[in-house]
Amino acid sequence: MITVDRLTVSYGGFTAVDDVSFVAQPGRVTGFLGPNGAGKSTTMRVMVGLTPATHGHVTIGGLRYADIPNPGRHVGTLLDASAQHAGRTGREILTLGAQTMGLPKTRVDEMLALVGLTDSEAKRRLRNYSLGMKQRLGIAHALLGDPSVLILDEPANGLDPAGIRWMRGLLKGYADRGGTVLLSSHLLHEVEQIADEMILIGHGRIVAQGDRATLLASNGTGAATTLVTSLDNDALAAALGAAGHAVAAAGPGLRVTATAAQVGQAALDARVVLTDLRDGGQNLEDLFLELTSSTQRDVLPNGASA
Amino acid sequence: MSATLPPPPPPVAGHVPTLDVSGTPRTPFTRLIGVEWRKMLDTRAGVWLLGITAGLLALIAGIVLLIVALADVSPPSANDWLNILTIPVSMLVPVMAITIVTQEWSQRTAMVTFALESSRLRVVLAKLVAVMALGAATILLALVLGLIGNIIGAGLAGTDANWNVTASTFGWAMATQVLYLLMGFGFGLLLLSSPAALALYYVYVWILEGGVIIPGIMYVLWIAFDWGQAILPWFSMRIAMLPFQIGDSDAASLENDLGANLDTGALGLAHVFTSVLIWVGLPLVLGTIRLLRAEVK
Repeated sequence: MITVDRLTVSYGGFTAVDDVSFVAQPGRVTGFLGPNGAGKSTTMRVMVGLTPATHGHVTIGGLRYADIPNPGRHVGTLLDASAQHAGRTGREILTLGAQTMGLPKTRVDEMLALVGLTDSEAKRRLRNYSLGMKQRLGIAHALLGDPSVLILDEPANGLDPAGIRWMRGLLKGYADRGGTVLLSSHLLHEVEQIADEMILIGHGRIVAQGDRATLLASNGTGAATTLVTSLDNDALAAALGAAGHAVAAAGPGLRVTATAAQVGQAALDARVVLTDLRDGGQNLEDLFLELTSSTQRDVLPNGASA
Repeated sequence: MSATLPPPPPPVAGHVPTLDVSGTPRTPFTRLIGVEWRKMLDTRAGVWLLGITAGLLALIAGIVLLIVALADVSPPSANDWLNILTIPVSMLVPVMAITIVTQEWSQRTAMVTFALESSRLRVVLAKLVAVMALGAATILLALVLGLIGNIIGAGLAGTDANWNVTASTFGWAMATQVLYLLMGFGFGLLLLSSPAALALYYVYVWILEGGVIIPGIMYVLWIAFDWGQAILPWFSMRIAMLPFQIGDSDAASLENDLGANLDTGALGLAHVFTSVLIWVGLPLVLGTIRLLRAEVK
């Protein structure tokens, strides 16, 4: 269990992490989401004692990181897959980690096999690794000591789709066996399929947290919205308008302030053939962009109002 | 490690630790030394540096013997061998002392190193022990080569080998090597940058202090000016230690050049102490404080 308690990290006048509190529970994958520069990495560095906290504190299983003996055996960390000596081979990097933690050499082979790095790849120097290979090596390094807590900063970065699916399965299985997993990402779709719980951070502050349903429910816009396309949009729009629903053109179809059932009923009554009917309400990505929009570097077209 | 981390938080009410660490002993210090030793030798840069050091020692010994064999000169004495062969040691071993610290920053491995051992001071001490062991091994190699060279040189010249190294001379020579190594280590900690620390080290050792062959700026000023003789022994380790290192005949001629006496008494020791404090003590202390407090990114 990772407990972040009123954590603040300031650099002079700049506050990178602002009064952040959350708990990552054992047996669950906790996604730490936010745009670049939102304070995710800083929070994770504080967790393992690399960055001092200005206020507040972090405990792992009730202990300060500095009080955990041989911490690699309890907490697996991957903070930056590229932060390894470019001149060392993948195998050597894992061997150094295993030696520090007092693990047998066989553990290195097990981890290489687990993350799918071949023997010839393990003999290559890190400077010849692709980002995806570095990430696999970093995950292997984090898992070396068979820890009960995993802290992974952007582990999916650079992985191909197959790699992302592989990692998803790996972390899911890890949490199912009772492990605590905290992983950060700036890409929602990487996280939303695997995370049981999501922490949304923007501008150093937590803007929302909870599971998928909770997040959508607490931030829903109230009135249901439906996207519909039919063979005769004009007739359908007239029917919907007559039924008292607000209708607007949206792409090839219509956006209607009504439930899907109400739209379907109107279409049936007007004898219009539907080709597409779906929930047009706020999805998680809209919510993510909206909540963190004040910290987005790029202005989004209609982003804030989507 | 109270210096690196904020003070422990007050216990949270009703909060029971859920992480069972009772079965995990602290990482033994010897294992940390072993890891740091391995890190010096597991990259091409490290292997090349050691190879060049060993090669340079053998090459210099070979050249000296070649000169003795071909030219009609008297063979170098044991003291000469000591002076000659410690040059490559003082040139290259401190590079390892610098990079064992700075490469953790340039390669950003400090993130992994300090995540696996929270006590940064233990890591620093493990690095120091490892690089001292490496320095000792290199000096041993230089001594063995000098020993063999002295015997072969005398044999080539058909004279008896001259074993004119006193315990005191030998002790000061070894102390110099250790101090240079510590100085490199301190510069590495203080600057946390390989190019900056290497530049500072070479500027001090080769340009300010100078060696046996080419005198440095401070040495020249010391010989030339009265104010130099008053001030520079406090600031130059080489000038401060010189009176303790040179033989009686060399001392007499040097005193003649200077027009002053070399002090090997309390004042001389005060010179040594002060200059070592400035170039070795302060960088080590300030550098360690910096490393303990630095944010690791």
